[in-house]
Amino acid sequence: MTVWKPQDDGYADLSSHDSFAGGAPHNTFARMRRDDPVCWTPYAQGQGFWSVTRHADILALNKQSELFSSAHGIRIEDQTPEEVIARRTFQETDGREHMMARIKVAKAFSKTVIAGFEEQIRDLCVTILDKALAQGTFDATKLIARELPMQMLGRILGTPDEDLPWLVEKGDALIANTDPDFTDHVLDKMTTDEFRMMPFNSPAGAELYAYAKDLMARKNAAGDTNGVLHLIMQPGPDGSVISDTEFRNFFCLLVAAGNDTTRYSIAAGLQAMCHQPELLGRMKSGAVWDTAPDEIIRWATPALYFRRTAMADVELHGKTIKAGDKVVYWFASGNRDEAALDDPYRVDLSRPANKHLSFGQGGPHVCLGMWLARLEVRVLFEELSKRISRIEAAGPHQFLRSNFVGGIKSLPVTVHLS
Amino acid sequence: MKATWTLPDGSTKTADVAIGTNLMEAAVANDIPNIEGACGGCLSCATCHVFVDPEWLGKVAAVGDFEDAMLDATEVERTDASRLSCQITMSADLDGITLTVPAD
Repeated sequence: MTVWKPQDDGYADLSSHDSFAGGAPHNTFARMRRDDPVCWTPYAQGQGFWSVTRHADILALNKQSELFSSAHGIRIEDQTPEEVIARRTFQETDGREHMMARIKVAKAFSKTVIAGFEEQIRDLCVTILDKALAQGTFDATKLIARELPMQMLGRILGTPDEDLPWLVEKGDALIANTDPDFTDHVLDKMTTDEFRMMPFNSPAGAELYAYAKDLMARKNAAGDTNGVLHLIMQPGPDGSVISDTEFRNFFCLLVAAGNDTTRYSIAAGLQAMCHQPELLGRMKSGAVWDTAPDEIIRWATPALYFRRTAMADVELHGKTIKAGDKVVYWFASGNRDEAALDDPYRVDLSRPANKHLSFGQGGPHVCLGMWLARLEVRVLFEELSKRISRIEAAGPHQFLRSNFVGGIKSLPVTVHLS
Repeated sequence: MKATWTLPDGSTKTADVAIGTNLMEAAVANDIPNIEGACGGCLSCATCHVFVDPEWLGKVAAVGDFEDAMLDATEVERTDASRLSCQITMSADLDGITLTVPAD
């Protein structure tokens, strides 16, 4: 079948969320990879930044975490040092400080511990799919993709199921803070700086914080030490204890980042099944499950980029990145780089040695939740493919208005049961 | 310098490894199975776990604190011979080192 290929002649403004409202601007990424792989990108609302678009360059820079720091902000948005401190999670730390925080939760998110969730995930998938598929025609992001990560989040955090819709609504308000469908406080259209000290510059951060404090008080009172929140409260190997602000921000990170990324991976996989009908047969063959989750997550690239800050002057491809400059690693572009991936615009569920960058591979901030994401994606598509004989688009899908989170926020589909 | 990995199927693979290269990078470059190196050697993951064969254990540098903590998060349970191979750098003393890759 014909697979879409980009024109390599795009000049989309990567700093504008509107440029991503129809999906990532692959025409622009293709041009940049070919002609201008370290491209100065003006930004109307602050300092411009360097866009790094080739797979090999992203990998090479991501590894040099002392030269390209996370501690000055990880999104394009400019922040004062006070804002960085107030809103910081371990995503916005470097080196030893990052390791200290990471070690506390590494085991809880390890492949072995996460594998123990498989049966729970499968049970949730069966319930979610039985309910959704019975509708025939429905919004698959809403009824399938949104449901599984949300319900798993409850298991990871140890929260009551009835609280989950509220938590996810607030998580969406944080991370989709540039899409008017998800927040009343659209980041690049706000006229107030009232929320600048809160996670994601959003008032939802304050509400989540109050919730997290109350949750911990209830869990402590009940002697309930289950879940990752308890782990993060423990002293680190050096005796350091998380501050209230850091705890608030970590909780917000789990609710936001740990939730919508898997949602949009599932949504992208479902959309790919509509676009490439042969994928269902490949899934039904059962031969693809070792490789399919990574390919679906590559295709989705829910974290379109992360930003770093140069700590010294660096020469790259004839450009001089100055100390203090913002440097943006466009994973969305690296994941479509023909120099690193054969036929990158085709979903190949058997893709061998998939060197995608969706988890930020190659650097210290590689996704903590990668094993959970892979497991949820695998089990969801295993159970789905058993139940249907066909899935097709029932109308145009819509992307989130965000240059940070790549996601199909609405995906009308029609399914035919097996 | 050379390093040899015993793979889960019992076969072995030997590769040239330059002095200064760490054994995770060498494994990834030589497509050794079950060695992913997801974090690039920054001790943020445990996807380059190997067992160092007994005769070489005394020659590799000691396990660091962060490495020790991350070894608790390996897929196959750690033993006294467990290392994260990103923390073993090839040197003249390690020429010929033999390692066993954990099974899935």
